[in-house]
Amino acid sequence: MRRWTTVVAFVALTSVMAGCGGGGGGSASAAPPSVTGSIPAAPSEGASASAGGSAAASSAACNPPRQDGVKLTFASFGGVYQDAQRKAWLDPYSAATGVEFTNDENSSNATIKAQVEAGQVTWDVVDVGNDFGLDANKDLLEPLDYTLIPRDEVLDGFAGDYRVADITYGVVLGYNTDKTAGKVPAGWADFFDLQKFPGKRGLWDYSEGGILEFALMADGVKPADLYKPSLDVARATKKLDTIKDNIVFWGSGAESQELIGSGEVAMTMIWNGRAWSAKNTDKKPVEIQWNQQIVTADYLVVPKGSPNKDAAMKFIAYTICAANNAKPSSYIPYGPTNKNAKPDPAKVADLSVSNADENSGYFDDTYLIDNFKDIDAAYQAWKTK
Amino acid sequence: MSTDAAGGRSRPSLRGLAGNRWSLLVLPAVVFLAVFFLAPLVTMSLRSVTDPQGAGLSNYTRFFGDEAYLRVLINTFWIALVSTVTCLVVGYPFAYLMTVVSGRVAGLLLIAVLLPFWSSLLVRTFAWQVILRDTGIINRFLLDLGLISSPLTLIRTTLGVILGMSHILLPFMVLPLYAVMRRIDPEYGRAAANLGAPPMSAFLRVFVPLSLPGVVAGCLLVFVLALGFYITPALLGGLHDQMISQLIVQQIQQRLDWGFGTAMSVVLMVITLVILFIASRLVRLRDVFGSAVEE
Repeated sequence: MRRWTTVVAFVALTSVMAGCGGGGGGSASAAPPSVTGSIPAAPSEGASASAGGSAAASSAACNPPRQDGVKLTFASFGGVYQDAQRKAWLDPYSAATGVEFTNDENSSNATIKAQVEAGQVTWDVVDVGNDFGLDANKDLLEPLDYTLIPRDEVLDGFAGDYRVADITYGVVLGYNTDKTAGKVPAGWADFFDLQKFPGKRGLWDYSEGGILEFALMADGVKPADLYKPSLDVARATKKLDTIKDNIVFWGSGAESQELIGSGEVAMTMIWNGRAWSAKNTDKKPVEIQWNQQIVTADYLVVPKGSPNKDAAMKFIAYTICAANNAKPSSYIPYGPTNKNAKPDPAKVADLSVSNADENSGYFDDTYLIDNFKDIDAAYQAWKTK
Repeated sequence: MSTDAAGGRSRPSLRGLAGNRWSLLVLPAVVFLAVFFLAPLVTMSLRSVTDPQGAGLSNYTRFFGDEAYLRVLINTFWIALVSTVTCLVVGYPFAYLMTVVSGRVAGLLLIAVLLPFWSSLLVRTFAWQVILRDTGIINRFLLDLGLISSPLTLIRTTLGVILGMSHILLPFMVLPLYAVMRRIDPEYGRAAANLGAPPMSAFLRVFVPLSLPGVVAGCLLVFVLALGFYITPALLGGLHDQMISQLIVQQIQQRLDWGFGTAMSVVLMVITLVILFIASRLVRLRDVFGSAVEE
């Protein structure tokens, strides 16, 4: 008895301490592709306002009614990314409608789940990664109101029943020009060619973040065939074996930016905003190879039971409307999801969607979410082998 | 101090608790523990067998049925063990030194131990990265001197993880050691010398046994804390240095597979409790942690 009380006391003590030590500062989070560093200067007023939407749904979405007294909580990934969203969408929306926003900078799938399960939903609109918001999570989300949101203007595959993409970004091959001695890697085949391009390779340690897809592309699989009929994990890990000793895993965007900027790795898989920051904010010799990028997105969702559901839908419609959707690109190199939206001309070359072509890949999010157990088990088996 | 001086010194028993109104003071702490530790632990453990619906032991069979997860589990305990031993090897002489130097120097040494507490774990781990990596301080220096022609593999190895973790955990070893060593009466050593023991023998046969409670306390503390690490291994380790907390976080945060995530947590917790229980058979934990009062 006494022995056990001591054991319990000890466990309690260490768990309190683990709270401050063991976990320590931010998980190696997925999804947030936010860039760090200074925000580029805002363009002149007219630059993005000129891109007026023409469709009827769009114009209604672009001109929301006054809603004085309404309060919305917007959760996203913080930093420069959320600043861009605030300047592009939240502030003008407040000015036009009187809606007051509370910002939360710690968007997380787990928090949405916890809020909904506890029946204490405090987030109204949440920016999430591509690994969330499909049918697998339908118990946690409100169906979106597509009488307000102009669904047919959204890029194919980027609008679902419970989520709609608000920004697009690319998972790309970034390379350090000092380390490649001026040579330009043409795509993922060169990424796996240690003879032609000596040096270490950075990869995101997340089985569904692109590592397997890129290995398959390097092995000759066409982007369109990545999931046909299923993701060939065995083939991908076999390809990864060829560079296993040279892999440097990263767990957060900041890390990838640092690895490629310092030249610790010669090439890395990286979110395009992070590569942009390495080059433009950190002034490092970093370039992007857009060929064989994977175009993906962040999505807006409304947690089930949000007390401000209707107001949330109106706001989402406003962000997706053609006139507004591309506005964040003035502050951060993330592109629109609305086909009719016109990004800031000064930034258009830095956007994933502007660089998309027939060699670009797209995640099959539904497939990945439905099969993650098997994919991840195979990935972990390869990794720890 | 004589034992009968204070009533509170006697072992608390349930009957004693009822009879002593002062013991009611412990109530808030008990309620706090029950609400914030016990209840969540029970909820969590239940979740591992109820999520997804009718899960039963499926989360556990999934975990134990997969070699990769087991490898990570074993690796977790291995890294925790090596970190603990490293901390002991470094911390013991350090704590001993603190007891033999003058008060002022001991104070400085204490500050040196406590200093890391005031900077974030993440920052310290990143600092190790800057020191150890291929383009880091050590490799740059050696390369510039021409002593090596290609960078030494310091980072992304178990060595890197052990360095980083031991650095962070060292205070948890040194402080309990120092607390115990400080109270060892130097007269014992002199008595041993007086009876003809050479210094080494006096140290090994008198001082070391007396310091054992501190050793056990420090080791347990460091070991259990080390089990929960994941950022340091992720940043400083290689492919094989993954620890289980990393998998748990991924399941909870990203995959939303809370059943599987909690099952892994329960596995880690149960094994840890078993280790603590075994330790409590070997040494009296109460003496270890209560040593400040007992003597």
